[in-house]
Amino acid sequence: MQRKRWVVGLAVVASFAVLATACSSGSSTGGGGATGSPTPGGTYRTATQTLSNTSNFDPTGEYYGYAWAIFQNLLIRGLYNNNHVPGDEGNTPQPDLVTDSKISSDGLTYEFTIRDDVTWGPPLDRTLTAGDVEYAFERINDSALAAYYGNYYCGVIKGMTCSETSIHPVSGIDVPDDTHITFHLESPTGDFLYRLAMPATYPQPKEVAGCFESAGGYGSNLVSSGAYMYFGSDKLDISGGCKSLKPVAGMNPDKGMTIVRNPNFDPATEDPAMYSNYLDGLQIEINSNVDDIFQKIQAGELDGSFADTPPPTVEQEYATNPDLQQFIHSDPGDRTWYITMNLLAPPFDDPAVRKAVQFVVDKAALVKGYGGSLHADIATTVDPPSVLPATADYNPYPSEGGAGDVNAAMDQMKQSKYDTNADGQCDAPECTFLLLSSNTTPWTNMNPILVQDLAKIGLKAQLSEVKPDVVNAQAITVKKLVPMTFGQGWAKDFGSPYGFDFFVFNGTTISCTGSYDEGLLGMTEEQAKECDVLDEYNAAIQNYPDHKLPSIDDKMAQCVALAGEEQQTCYAEMNKVNMEEGMTWVPWAWGKNLVITSPTVTQYVYDQNAGDPAWAHIAVNNGLAPENVA
Amino acid sequence: MIRYIIRRVLWAILVLLIVVFLTYMIFFLLPSGDPAVRLAGKNQTPQLLAQIRQQFGLDHPWYVQYFLFLRHAFFGDQYGWPGLGLSFTLKIPLKGIIFSRVAVTAQLALGAAIVWLVSGISIGILAALRPHTFADRTAMGLAILAISMPVFFLGPLALYIFWFKLHWLPGTGYYPLARYGLGPWFSHWILPWCVLAVLYAAFYARLTRSNLMETMNEDYIRTARAKGLPEKRVVLKHGLRAGLTPIVTVFGLDLAALLGGAIITESIFNLPGIGQLTVQAVGGQDLNTIAVITLVAAVFVVVANLVVDILYAVLDPRVRYD
Repeated sequence: MQRKRWVVGLAVVASFAVLATACSSGSSTGGGGATGSPTPGGTYRTATQTLSNTSNFDPTGEYYGYAWAIFQNLLIRGLYNNNHVPGDEGNTPQPDLVTDSKISSDGLTYEFTIRDDVTWGPPLDRTLTAGDVEYAFERINDSALAAYYGNYYCGVIKGMTCSETSIHPVSGIDVPDDTHITFHLESPTGDFLYRLAMPATYPQPKEVAGCFESAGGYGSNLVSSGAYMYFGSDKLDISGGCKSLKPVAGMNPDKGMTIVRNPNFDPATEDPAMYSNYLDGLQIEINSNVDDIFQKIQAGELDGSFADTPPPTVEQEYATNPDLQQFIHSDPGDRTWYITMNLLAPPFDDPAVRKAVQFVVDKAALVKGYGGSLHADIATTVDPPSVLPATADYNPYPSEGGAGDVNAAMDQMKQSKYDTNADGQCDAPECTFLLLSSNTTPWTNMNPILVQDLAKIGLKAQLSEVKPDVVNAQAITVKKLVPMTFGQGWAKDFGSPYGFDFFVFNGTTISCTGSYDEGLLGMTEEQAKECDVLDEYNAAIQNYPDHKLPSIDDKMAQCVALAGEEQQTCYAEMNKVNMEEGMTWVPWAWGKNLVITSPTVTQYVYDQNAGDPAWAHIAVNNGLAPENVA
Repeated sequence: MIRYIIRRVLWAILVLLIVVFLTYMIFFLLPSGDPAVRLAGKNQTPQLLAQIRQQFGLDHPWYVQYFLFLRHAFFGDQYGWPGLGLSFTLKIPLKGIIFSRVAVTAQLALGAAIVWLVSGISIGILAALRPHTFADRTAMGLAILAISMPVFFLGPLALYIFWFKLHWLPGTGYYPLARYGLGPWFSHWILPWCVLAVLYAAFYARLTRSNLMETMNEDYIRTARAKGLPEKRVVLKHGLRAGLTPIVTVFGLDLAALLGGAIITESIFNLPGIGQLTVQAVGGQDLNTIAVITLVAAVFVVVANLVVDILYAVLDPRVRYD
């Protein structure tokens, strides 16, 4: 009882903090877009071109950011969540179901006490238990359910391999009773709480989730543990066990999604810093016409955009009209746009060439071509500042206004074996190479800029413009050895550098058919052999004194075991090695999330962790009751 | 005639098999690579890839996948009959999606067809009966203008004027009759029907005019007039029957093609029909959805072709097949 009073007191203070944060830093334009005081009620109506997904909104396998935003803000809750606010605070996990925690001094055991007063939404209507939390991990461990980010738990929690063929208890998780759960880890993992804030770990009820033995099935029958639920969840028929289950009315990824309040959620017992819950509902409709979506926002038929970029004319109107500026919201998306260079593909097998490219790229021009400051800021390193604040001011390749430093680039090029006369111009036959980029806007406008930049140091890029998914497919296939790609972006999985860097820079992730470590940083001889690029590997390692490709794997393993400030410092060091020795990326922009709202939105807050609107804190004054659009 | 129909049905089935076969071939020859790799996201572990391949039946060679697709389509799958499998991008059974979307596309196509038949044929008849007059020249001039205006131009323009500026008509979206009633349903269809029908109406007006003018110069029309038949009867009974026969052929194929999805109209007016699904499926390289849409569209075209051929024989006594 005493704890709750303390929590409520803290909650009041925190809720003011949320509002203050929302109005001060929620939007880089428009000061939060508030047009009045936030009051409960109304329905946020939005539309998007597609609700494509990775696992039909089944939390175990769902990977898209906007789905996570809906899960974490509205539908389900976990041991940890976040406060759905912008900036560093938004990326920091906060206890949600957890009331008490104990971490062993060796960092190998995490004990949690969870609340005993949280009830599953209808039709389940029973108390949420620690067993439900464990069941979520059992599902992650079952390969049939295709947990898209199971790597953050498998090999980390004892007994988890992500390769079970059915649901089994996990040996590294103890559940002594309904309110206690203990995790035993294989090795210290300093960002484990971040991983516990990801939706796949959120409790799931065996009675319903257990009915689905393959990926995606549970998504259409999701039972709510959060403040909201799918429209029609209360009609979910569980009387006949699995046989009577039918998809809920409010969720159809082909048509849309309608979310309404969960009657079993008691706001009086909750922390408003995490859950303001002004909205009565959220409607997301599929609309194939982007122009139409934004016209409907202007006409007041929708309350805001969702996942689509506004047409340039609309964006310009909102950006330049003083009356409309408060309705455009541009927030850091924790996403980096980058150029890749392949360590095995000449001329980028030579570190001097990679360094020269880092200097020569006119990032300011690329950002301008990408849409300007509403869409992105110039990137100086791989990790966005909100993911790794310790490197916010780190810029190993400085230039005036980010426009590139040709002289510095030429100085680097002179040290390359591909500059045979040391005049700062790449002149060997290898200096002509394939540059793979997208054939869609804005890339087609930006490709010539990059080609011209590279030409300043003698690099002759043979530009090939193809569909974005073809760029991706070619780039992640190791055997293709694509020398350079452009037009790719990467976003964090969680707000600690491991959640950003692991897939793209850790050599252990290299898979011959799908390596997101496209530059092949940290590739080993065994991997090269397996992927049939051993000759190229053997040639490339001659460029390094230790006859090994650059790698940050060991440093990453060292950093992930640490916690707090110590971990930040370690990651900052790792980032330095990556930027100055690895150099498989030229990070040129940190992307932003752009949303346009209508005047009906009285409070707009950005959820840094999800990179989407913070549905838990947004308020509208349209007075509408939710209507099923699915 | 029966033998002719049986022969045509068998040919139609063969055409459908070939169409789907080519769809599979093209998809697998595309440079985008393994669909499982695209679906696996960042965590490309061998286990995850194997699981995805198994879930979507991608663990078989492409020709086995093709035969499995056909077997499921004809005999059903775990989601019922016809077995259309799962959408790769939405991860839900396609059967419900296709049925609901065909219903929307059918409403669009049939409504537009009524508009263009009524307006196009009427204008064509009037122009044919008063050739080289001001009315004829105006009608044909407008027809040329209408043919020159593609739906991707006319659609947004109509929306901008009639919805966004004048507020005479509602905006985009599909408002089912059963849920919203006649008024909202009809008002939301007016613009899509008219915009889609404009091009066809203009084309049908020109076709009707030229066919009817040609027919009206035939000897048997002169004979009918010489016999003293009233002009109305000459036109309606003798002129139109022969003059409109080619229209039937064209109409059948046009309608069938539209039932396979009016991609641009559905996209502009946000109508959840087959055309909109096509755009999404191609964008997401959703092989199964593309194959199913191809099959559905091909069924419409093949069946329409068959019906038209039979109707043609009924309408024109000179045409006989056995």
